[in-house]
Amino acid sequence: MKAIRGVLLTCDSAVKQILLTMNEKQSFIIEDLDDFHVVIKADEEYRVRRELEAELEKNTYSLE
Amino acid sequence: MDKPSHLSVILDLSPTQWALCAQSANPTGITLQTFLSQLLAFLNAHIACKDENTLAVFGAFPGQSGMLYSSTGEITSARTESTDANTYRPFRTLDSTLMTLIAERLESYDSTTEEAPIGLVGCLTKALCYINRAITTSSSSVTEIEGAVASVDPRILVLSVSPDQSSTYIPIMNSIFSAQKLKVTIDVCKIFGAENVFLQQAAHLTGGAYVQVERTDALLQYMMMSFLPPPAIRQLISVPTQDRVDFRAACFCHKRIVEIGFVCSVCLSIFCQPVPVCSTCRTKFPIKTLQRLRDARPLAAAAPPTKPLAPKNGTATPARPG
Amino acid sequence: MAGPSIRIKPAGEPSKSTNISGEDSSHRLVAFLQSQSQNTLTRLYQKPSSCLSIFRLLRPLERQLVMNLLWLEMPVPASTMAAWVTREGKRPYHDALATLARLHILPQSPVKHALNPTFKSSMRQAITGGGSSGSFGVLSENDDKHPPPDIEALDAYALERWETILYYMVSSGTGQFPARPSQGVLYLLQRSRLMANVHGNTLQITSAGFQFLLHPPHEQLWELLLQYLQMAEERQMDLVEVLSFLLMLSTTELGKDYSMENLSATQKAMLEDLRDYGLIKQRTATSRRFSPTRLATTLTSSSPPLPTSTGTGNGSQAQGFIVLETNYRLYAYTDNPLQIAVLNLFVTLKSRFPNLVVGQITRESVKKALTNGITADQVISYLITHAHPQMRKNKPLLPVTVQDQIRLWELEKNRVKSQEGYLYTAFASQADYEYVLNYAKQLDVVLWENASRRCFFGSVEGHANIRGFIERRSAAGNA
Repeated sequence: MKAIRGVLLTCDSAVKQILLTMNEKQSFIIEDLDDFHVVIKADEEYRVRRELEAELEKNTYSLE
Repeated sequence: MDKPSHLSVILDLSPTQWALCAQSANPTGITLQTFLSQLLAFLNAHIACKDENTLAVFGAFPGQSGMLYSSTGEITSARTESTDANTYRPFRTLDSTLMTLIAERLESYDSTTEEAPIGLVGCLTKALCYINRAITTSSSSVTEIEGAVASVDPRILVLSVSPDQSSTYIPIMNSIFSAQKLKVTIDVCKIFGAENVFLQQAAHLTGGAYVQVERTDALLQYMMMSFLPPPAIRQLISVPTQDRVDFRAACFCHKRIVEIGFVCSVCLSIFCQPVPVCSTCRTKFPIKTLQRLRDARPLAAAAPPTKPLAPKNGTATPARPG
Repeated sequence: MAGPSIRIKPAGEPSKSTNISGEDSSHRLVAFLQSQSQNTLTRLYQKPSSCLSIFRLLRPLERQLVMNLLWLEMPVPASTMAAWVTREGKRPYHDALATLARLHILPQSPVKHALNPTFKSSMRQAITGGGSSGSFGVLSENDDKHPPPDIEALDAYALERWETILYYMVSSGTGQFPARPSQGVLYLLQRSRLMANVHGNTLQITSAGFQFLLHPPHEQLWELLLQYLQMAEERQMDLVEVLSFLLMLSTTELGKDYSMENLSATQKAMLEDLRDYGLIKQRTATSRRFSPTRLATTLTSSSPPLPTSTGTGNGSQAQGFIVLETNYRLYAYTDNPLQIAVLNLFVTLKSRFPNLVVGQITRESVKKALTNGITADQVISYLITHAHPQMRKNKPLLPVTVQDQIRLWELEKNRVKSQEGYLYTAFASQADYEYVLNYAKQLDVVLWENASRRCFFGSVEGHANIRGFIERRSAAGNA
C-alpha cells in the first residue's frame, strides 16, 4: 500500500481532455482516476490553473 | 412573512350600551374607562410589533361615525404634547389624540334624549375606504424589494357592545362583499350583549375571528391572543374561529331577521312573506305560485336556523313576459 | 459516479443565502445577543426602550409568543402553549422557543413557561408608558438661539457621512484619493476585515469589503455596528451601556434635539464615534445636545435608512435607478459618485451624462467582480434592490437571460475544483482496501473511491489518522 500526496481536481470531461493534452507537453498528472477526476502534483496546481484559464479563454467569443 | 400590516379598529361607543355594560353583573361588566386603557395597551402593542405597522381608529357614535386616529397623521389633537422621556413617542401621540377626541365627542351627547342608532356601518365603510386608499397608494409607489406589490395585509377589528340593527343588514352585507374583494379580514370582538348575527357573518365570510368575551377582566389577553396576530401569522398560531355561525338574514321588507324567507329568483332579494312584486327589481310573480307558496308556509318558526337562501325553501318564480 | 452537473437556479427566485433579512434567519443583532451572558442580557432588559427595540427585531412568531405571555401573571404549562400553534407551526414554534430561551427572554423549561421577570416588567412599561427610567431619551429644552436642525439638514448630513465611508472603500486602490473618513472609522473598517493594509500604510478593500458594498444599507449599518460592539468590549466600554444607547437611539424621533444630561460617561464617549458614522449630529463637538439622524431612528425598522441621494434631488433614487435590458445594456439614472463606483465593480461603463450612466454587463466585467470575491447572487440581488420603478412592471424583474448568464459566468469560473489530499493505492488485497476505506469513511474524509482499481482519495485532514491506523494494523499483524 502506498499514499501519494497530490491535489484532486474535479472537473467536467471537456476540461479533463484539455488537461490531458497539457500533460503531454509538461507532465503534472499523477493519476488519471476517471472522466471527472484527476490527481495532479500539488506544486503544479497554480501553473496548471493559469494555463487552463488561458486555454479556455481561447474558446470564448468576445465582442470586443 | 415579516411584512408590515395595517389595522383599522372600529370602536362601538354608544353611551347607553356602555352604561348598561358597566352596570351589568352577569357577565361582569366593564366600564368605558377600563376598556379604553386596555385598548390603548393593545393598540400600542400593534405599533410595537413593527415600525412600519399602520393603525387607524374609527369611532361609532349614536347616529355618527368618525376617524379618531390614523398613524399617517391626518388626525392630530390640537393639544401640544409635553415631553416625556419614559414613553415611546408614537405611543404617546396615539394615546393623547385618541383619549382627547373620544372625550370631546362623548361630552356632546345629551343623555336625556333618546339615542340614535349606532353608526357602525359608517365606520365600516370609512375603514374600507381608508384601506382601499392605503393599498392603491402603496402599490403605485413601490418601495418594496423583489418588485412585489407592497402588501399591507389589512384587517379590521370591530369592538362591539350594541345589539344588531336589522335595518343595517343590506349595507353590512355590502361592506362584507367589498372587504372580501379587497382581501380584508374582519375580526369581531363582542364585549357586551348578545351574539351579533351580522358581525358573526362578517367575520366568517372574511376569514376573521369572532370572539364573545366571557371574562371582561381578561379582555386585554383576549385581544392580544386573538386579534394581534396579522393574517400571515395565523397559519402558524391558531386564533379562535366560530364553530357555529348564525346565517340568518334580515328581510328587505320589514327588516326582520328571518329563519325562512322568500327569495326573488331574479335579484335574490329576501322577503319574509311571498310578495306579488319584487320591491327591488319590480319583477312580477304569477298568482298561482304565490298561492302555492302561501300554502306551503310553515306554521311556526320551529325549524332550526338554516341557510334561508336555499331555493328549495320557497322560490318565487317570476312571470314570463309575454 | 455522477459527474459534475451544472445546475442553474430558476431565474427570478432569489437565493436563500443573499436574503439575510428573510424569513428563516434571525436579525444579526439577535444572533449577537444570543452569545451574551444571562447577566448582560438581564441588565440590558432593565431599560424599556431596549426591550422594545429588541422585541422589534424578533421574528413574527417570536413576537406573538412574547405578546401572548406578556400580560399573564402565572406561568403557562408547556402543553397549553403548544396548543396555541397549528400543525404547520410546530417547527417554527420550537425554533422560536429556542431563540427566546437563548436570549433569556423565555427561560427554557419542560413544564411551565413564563417570561423573564425583568424583561416582562420593562416591556409592559414600554407599552403602557410611565415609570421613571427615562429610557426613550430626554428632549433638550427649546433653545431659541439654536433651534433643532431640520430633517433635510439631518438627512444630508447622514448621507454625506455614510457615503464618505463607502466611497473611500470603493475607490481604495484605484488611484483616486477621496475624502478620508476619521481615524476611528478606518480602524473599524480594518477590524471588520472590510479593508486591509496591503503595502505599508495604504488601506485596500478586501473581498469581504466588495461584498459589503453590495449589501443593502441596513445590513451594512448593522455589520459595522456589530463590529463596534465587539470592539467596545476591548476598549473597556460597558457593553450594556453601549447597546442600550444604540437601542434607545432607534426609538428616538427624527428632527428633535436630545439632551446629554442623562447619558453615562461611556455613552458620552460614544457620541463621537456615532457622529463619524453619521448616526447622530451635533452642532459643535462640545455641544450639550445631539440629534439622531435617519440612520439611527430606522435601526429597528426596515424602511430605508438613507434619504434620497444628493444630486438630482428627486425621490426616484431611494426607490432604484437601474434599468437593465435583455441585451445586457444597463442604464443607471444617477450622478452619485458612490453609486457609479459600485456599479463599476461589475459593469463596463461606456458613457456618462449629467444624470445618466450607460454601461454594459460583459463577461469581462462580471469576471472582474468574481475575482474580487463578489458572487453572482450578490450582483443579481444588488440589481434587484436598486431596480428602477419602471423595471418593477416586468415579471420577473430582471431579464432572465442576463440573470442566467451571470450565474453561468460564475459556474464557468468554477469549472475546476481542487482539493488537496492523498491518493491511497496499491493495496495488497481487496479486504485490506475495504478495511482502510471503511475507517476513512468513518472519519468522513473520503473524496473519491473506486473499488475495482482499489484506490481512494482522502483529504489532508484525515491523513495523519489513516497513516496511524495502517501503522497500528501492520504492527499488530507482524506481532
